[in-house]
Amino acid sequence: MVIVEIPIGPQHPALHEPIMLKVRTEGEEVVEVSVNTGYNHRGIEKLLEKNSWVRGMYISGRVCGICNAVHMQTYVQGVEKLMGVEPPPRANYIRTLVMELERIHSHMLVAAVMAEIIGFDTLFMLLMRDRERVMYLKELVTGNRVHADIHMLGGVKRDLDEVRRDRILSELKIVEERIKYYMKVFEEDYTIMKRLSEVGVIRKSEALRLSIVGPTLRASGIKSDVRSDDPYAAYSEIPFNVVSRDEGDSWARMMVRFGEALESVSIARYTVEKLPQGPAIPKTIPRATKPGEVISRVEAPRGELLYHIVSVGGANPYRVKIRTPSFLNILNTEKVYIGHRLADVPVIFASYDPCISCTERVMVIDEKSGKKTYVSMRDLARVRVG
Amino acid sequence: MRLALLREILANLARKPATLKYPVAREVTVAPGFRGKHYADLVKCIGCSLCAVDCPANAITMEKLPQPLKQNQRGIFPVVDYGKCVFCYQCVFVCPVKAYIVTEVFEMADHVIGTSRDISLSTIKGGGSA
Repeated sequence: MVIVEIPIGPQHPALHEPIMLKVRTEGEEVVEVSVNTGYNHRGIEKLLEKNSWVRGMYISGRVCGICNAVHMQTYVQGVEKLMGVEPPPRANYIRTLVMELERIHSHMLVAAVMAEIIGFDTLFMLLMRDRERVMYLKELVTGNRVHADIHMLGGVKRDLDEVRRDRILSELKIVEERIKYYMKVFEEDYTIMKRLSEVGVIRKSEALRLSIVGPTLRASGIKSDVRSDDPYAAYSEIPFNVVSRDEGDSWARMMVRFGEALESVSIARYTVEKLPQGPAIPKTIPRATKPGEVISRVEAPRGELLYHIVSVGGANPYRVKIRTPSFLNILNTEKVYIGHRLADVPVIFASYDPCISCTERVMVIDEKSGKKTYVSMRDLARVRVG
Repeated sequence: MRLALLREILANLARKPATLKYPVAREVTVAPGFRGKHYADLVKCIGCSLCAVDCPANAITMEKLPQPLKQNQRGIFPVVDYGKCVFCYQCVFVCPVKAYIVTEVFEMADHVIGTSRDISLSTIKGGGSA
């Protein structure tokens, strides 16, 4: 049997992200996948070293568009620790609200992307339409539908008034109903079950060995969530469940995300209803840090996000190292594709909820020595595999 | 279950489209408090340059005032380059005299590079409520 190498990406309609999967197939069956990254490197860690602590806040928020508030939270809580500043409880609740809204829209987005990849465009449109409600809520709270920029060293930049709180509660009610409905569609629809169940299975032991994080890990039956393991912001005061499933396949990963989105709705509702009184906006911006280093971690929509911030006491950070969840989830799971059909590759890839702009900051991939041949789609059509 | 989705599809037949015919129909509304175009009110600005120092996108440059103003001893004012600006509103937040005027204007695509120079200078005569 002839082994054919098919490059998927870096620009590919099924992937939505600039990454390249070199898929080697024997007939329809995948025998090897190598992930090739490096198309989205922007040098953000270096940029953080060159800019002040306050500017760094916004730069860290620009690492990723979808999870900008969690990136800011990780950076800000780390820097606050270095500065010895404690944010007021009200600010913590507002930060939590924004991060949970972000989680809801991120999980709805990946569900929509998954629906599109398996050819279910109607569901994609419906999900994206209802996601817009959450985006509007984010715009209402923070002032922008994508980039929240609400964090500030020692608090938040914007307070929440009564009118906005009522609007959030009424919109969350609709969002919750819609998520429940889509969860039911994913649970019972014949096409979705055919395409997702038993595809890309990661067993419990394997998931631990590969250091997978986030919903991908929880879908393999391991209840690990930074929000409950190492509470930050207001999570220690908010009751919520860690959603997990035992199947470990692409379908379970989607189901975990839907379950989490529902939990996020209840967390968001709790933060709005139980919002503590008091100030939320800091009067002055702290600008000086003590020398030292800090590890700050947060549960991003895709898993554990980790910042290592080193200060030597100057106006700028000495070093900021960012480790994002997609970095682990994409690069460590090359083996999972093996044995599946070629058409399953985008499905498995999308089920990790990959975020390339998060992943690529500093990375070197060694190409294997030996001749690599690329086959264009036209040539491929002429090849008679036998 | 197929019927449940079918019901959703049928219900959508009677609904008007969720998308907007932009820019033909300009019915796009933003949430109150949207972070749009902002500029300095020169009646209040003291020329302290804090906004330019904190701007993460280096979008703010301090320029010389064409005429001396009483409260602005340094004689400089901030000009926001809207092409560079990321609308994080750090400048609005950091301003000690709350000199920035914020709007909800978001349609800024143009064939010339837009800055806040002219609109800021117009606040000297207009009293800053433009």
